[in-house]
Amino acid sequence: MLMIRGIALFLDRTYVKQNPNVRSLWDMGLQLFCKHLSLAPEVEHKTVTGLLRMIENERLGEAVDRTLLNHLLKMFTALGIYSESFEKPFLECTSEFYAAEGMKYMQQSDVPDYLKHVEIRLHEENERCLLYLDAITRKPLIATAERKLLERHIPAILDKGFMTLMDGHRIEDLQRMYSLFSRVNALESLRQALSSYIRRTGQAIVMDEEKDKDMVSNLLEFKASLDSVLEESFSKNEAFCNTIKDSFEHLINLRQNRPAELIAKFLDEKLRAGNKGISEEELEGTLDKVLVLFRFIQGKDVFEAFYKKDLAKRLLLGKSASIDAEKSMISKLKTECGSQFTNKLEGMFKDIELSKEINESFKQSSQARTKLPSGIEMSVHVLTAGYWPTYPPMDVRLPHELNVYQDIFKEFYLSKYSGRRLMWQNSLGHCVLKADFPRGKKELAVSLFQTVVLMLFNDAQKLSFQDIKDSTGIEDKELRRTLQSLACGKVRVLQKFPKGRDVEDDDSFIFNEGFTGPLYRIKVNAIQMKETVEENTSTTERVFQDRQYQVDAAIVRIMKTRKVLSHTLLITELFQQLKFPMKPADLKKRIESLIDREYLERDKNNPQIYNYLA
Amino acid sequence: MLLDYFELNSNVMMHYFNSPEGIETLCSDMEVDHTDVRILMLAWKMKAEKQGYFTLEEWRRGLKALRADTVSKLKKALPELEKEVRRPSNFEDFYSYSFCYCLTEEKQKSIDTESICQLLDLVLGSQFRAQVDYFIEYLKIQSDYKVINLDQWMGFFRFCNEINFPDLSNYNPDLAWPLILDIFVEWMQAKQS
Repeated sequence: MLMIRGIALFLDRTYVKQNPNVRSLWDMGLQLFCKHLSLAPEVEHKTVTGLLRMIENERLGEAVDRTLLNHLLKMFTALGIYSESFEKPFLECTSEFYAAEGMKYMQQSDVPDYLKHVEIRLHEENERCLLYLDAITRKPLIATAERKLLERHIPAILDKGFMTLMDGHRIEDLQRMYSLFSRVNALESLRQALSSYIRRTGQAIVMDEEKDKDMVSNLLEFKASLDSVLEESFSKNEAFCNTIKDSFEHLINLRQNRPAELIAKFLDEKLRAGNKGISEEELEGTLDKVLVLFRFIQGKDVFEAFYKKDLAKRLLLGKSASIDAEKSMISKLKTECGSQFTNKLEGMFKDIELSKEINESFKQSSQARTKLPSGIEMSVHVLTAGYWPTYPPMDVRLPHELNVYQDIFKEFYLSKYSGRRLMWQNSLGHCVLKADFPRGKKELAVSLFQTVVLMLFNDAQKLSFQDIKDSTGIEDKELRRTLQSLACGKVRVLQKFPKGRDVEDDDSFIFNEGFTGPLYRIKVNAIQMKETVEENTSTTERVFQDRQYQVDAAIVRIMKTRKVLSHTLLITELFQQLKFPMKPADLKKRIESLIDREYLERDKNNPQIYNYLA
Repeated sequence: MLLDYFELNSNVMMHYFNSPEGIETLCSDMEVDHTDVRILMLAWKMKAEKQGYFTLEEWRRGLKALRADTVSKLKKALPELEKEVRRPSNFEDFYSYSFCYCLTEEKQKSIDTESICQLLDLVLGSQFRAQVDYFIEYLKIQSDYKVINLDQWMGFFRFCNEINFPDLSNYNPDLAWPLILDIFVEWMQAKQS
């Protein structure tokens, strides 16, 4: 045809151009060819099936003559029958092929391999378009392949493979999944799968009571792994990010209170001295991470109560690893929850600092210099009762010297700050004693109760339980714990007769003459310093008590401004105001209690409405 | 006329009021059991304030309203009184009155569940037999509530009037029903399934 055109070029260029109703040679040639082709549908049909078979063979991995394909398809395009005669059967064929392949592969291979395969297939099809298919085919072709290979298998892929990928932290495979899914608008299903995965895995962590100890570190690890998946595989998709947050909030509040308590404990562990090998920055990083978990906690008051209790121990026993870290934690909490939340915690720090000054000036004072018994040194923490956890007062008969000391200090303190009331918290005191063992001198770091017991042995060799109880005046249970720590623990300053782990009524104790130890200064661990079960439950109970008051206060506050409000609206507003989780039933109970106490009444005509009673 | 009669018979009638024994005598004279709901209705009509005592004024108010000047007339007036009380416009008032009538101590606001069971049986038993029976059964096995207050008492009355029983299909615990009814309904549903 080119040749014919070449011969008649002049004719074509001049005559045809001037006569619009005469076709150019090229067009005429095409038209004639087309006409003949349509007269022989057999030929066209054969060509198309031939083409399709070739493509299928290529898909199956055989090498085919791509140039031939290219030429033939160009011809179809030129003849204007491409989309009608070729594209339609081609797409149908593709659809069939991939539908079958998808089914087969899904059964045969595991999810990551399948995804890889899909990716390759899509790439191939793309290539095919570039090499020999007409450009307009690209979109429908890729869409067909995506539909057959991906879309219909999405639930199966997620079901079969998502968990294993997440568990295995397979960043690349997950990324592949994400990008493939985003092609077929299936990210929503992926997001849901992610959500349910987090919930399921997280629930296992949170609900496993036996592993309470590791819950926080497990959660932190889990969160870190999710974050890296989000960043590297899910291209920091915002919806996914929110999903992670929501799911975490859900799972951490699955169990009431305990997670909050454990987070506080976890922090205590980190902030307590003796955590060698952690640099300041590392500690700082851990605190930040824990804070993320803290953010999800609904019952922040539980956290506060336990945190405060542990902080008190750290401060009073000088066990804090670093005051800087403590303060940075407080300021983090402050930015998170506002100054109201940290008010008391900060007060505790102030007390400690103030106490230092007071002790200094006490030492300088005339009272101290003239009246103090010699040979002992004492430092006093003066604590503001409202800031600190409440400690049950415990009686003890102190040695004379200490009593004198306390009295003088009291006199001094009250002369400086009149109108205040000092109450000695004997259970928190601790001392360093010099002990003269036959096999060497030692210094013993002990609690005040331990001191009181040990000092009895200055004047006696052997004492019965009853003797000790009578002369110290320490409460029975506490005394048993104290004696246990002195005679049955690692460091045995006393010996108990008969031997045994528990202290019985008719046991007796003697000073352990044969005591030896590698160090000069020895700490005798006091058992009472460990958290007892009662202490724990009482902390929790106090939190619940507090919550009740807060609910009552919130109800009264709301009703005072509204005067008249329906039950549903009141409940909604309460949920907005309260910062801890409450069941509607609990709120009802508080409302009823307030009705009982005549703060509110039920409206006489509409029982759904409450009136405020001034 | 009544007053005259009252004056005339004051010596006779005197022993009926101002003491629990008086009321008991009145009951036996009328041949009505003293736990009969109609005695409670009589007290409601008299607007008696204190359980077991009809004061002179209350006594007069009641007799006058019932147009009764003798024990036998009073007895005959009782069926009419019952009809009056059972009228919907009066019944709620009577129901709430019956609770307050049982508050015997100063500043007492609630009644122990055992008495509540008896009272419920007495005032609502004929009208809402099934509800009352179930509720009493529940009150007897539960341990959360030792006493019932007026709000809960009135709540149960609304419950009987408004809620389909026994399918409870239109009960919604998100509404302002007293909590005890939420728990009662939960208990009912657990029992039914």
